[in-house]
Amino acid sequence: MDIYTLSFWGISIALMGLSVVKSKEKTFEAMKKSKHMMGNMIGEIIGIIFIIGIVLTFIPPESIKSVLGSDDTTLATIIAAIAGSVTLIPAFVAFPLVGSFVDVGASIVPAVAFLTTLTMVGVVTFPLEKKEFGVKFALIRNVFSFIAALLIAAVMGVIL
Amino acid sequence: MKAKTILKKNKLLVLVALVYMGLFIVMPEKASLAIKNSVYYLIEMFEVLPVIFLLTVVIEAMIPKEWIIKHFGEKSGFLGNILSLILGSISAGPIYAAFPISKMLLTKGASVPNIVIILSSWAVIKIPMLANEVKFLGVSFMGVRWVLTVIAILVMAWLTGKLINRKELLVSITDKAKPKVGINLDYCIGCGICVKMLPEVYEMIDQKAFIRLEQVIPGNMVLIHKTVEKCPTQAISINVD
Repeated sequence: MDIYTLSFWGISIALMGLSVVKSKEKTFEAMKKSKHMMGNMIGEIIGIIFIIGIVLTFIPPESIKSVLGSDDTTLATIIAAIAGSVTLIPAFVAFPLVGSFVDVGASIVPAVAFLTTLTMVGVVTFPLEKKEFGVKFALIRNVFSFIAALLIAAVMGVIL
Repeated sequence: MKAKTILKKNKLLVLVALVYMGLFIVMPEKASLAIKNSVYYLIEMFEVLPVIFLLTVVIEAMIPKEWIIKHFGEKSGFLGNILSLILGSISAGPIYAAFPISKMLLTKGASVPNIVIILSSWAVIKIPMLANEVKFLGVSFMGVRWVLTVIAILVMAWLTGKLINRKELLVSITDKAKPKVGINLDYCIGCGICVKMLPEVYEMIDQKAFIRLEQVIPGNMVLIHKTVEKCPTQAISINVD
């Protein structure tokens, strides 16, 4: 666990203690409610995690290299954005991977599209998002995020 | 019967288990690689979800509804957007960790645009991640991407708020997980305690208490539980399936 996550543990445990001291009754009511809410999610989250495992096995992070290196930038950007949407790669893998490509002189536009959809668009987490917020919300948020990623990439290509 | 509901509730998990079984038979090497790949995310989940659980409890128990409405609600304005952006940015964990917190805030009065901001910034903007980006792609790359992403998130939030209103979103959230609250009219003596405690939810008709089912939403559940306890004849029951 990194320091960042660790400090989150510290802060939440402290807040929890404060909450118990302030009102035991209220805290336990809230616990019941949260337990119910999270209990409904946990099966789905574990399922999603194992789907990610399969996706990463058949589309390993390295395969994005062939996309980023393509000559046709427009096509490469769209494919990179789609690849970013369906995979979930930890940021500490994604940044060096993309960085090594940009260093070699590849266009940054597909790289940015990939990095942005990677985190903001979640095809794999869509079932969960749909369950928690409804189809309409999940669809709107993911479609908008996809478009936003393409726009951000295009603008960055112009600026940098 | 019980096994059936468990299966039904965990449809996705069952499906994934079946896929893995098939994969182990056809391509055992790929299957064990897939398991190995999943382990990192499983660890991440166990590192983050307990914290999320604690935070949802703290938000529910300690932060009054009025405070959430004032700072994250429909009328919180630009300051509310900024606050949501900060909340999402200082968070830890993958996007699914943002779902319980956002849901909790939504039921307590946060607006749709602010929920979009929290979810999106939670996903994209992370302080440790920004540092990582600088290391591999440079300050100007990170800076420009950050500014553009923040603009994009704000525009997306505004647009989503125009397309979905809060009520509609609340309905789609509560429909499925709706706990059933019922009153046994044979037991109800019409004392009116529940109506006094929670006039939004209960009403008195002909000396018997009735429930406004549309008010049985997560935001009211804590108080509903209290009325269950206070009812002198224990006529109110809650079914959480």
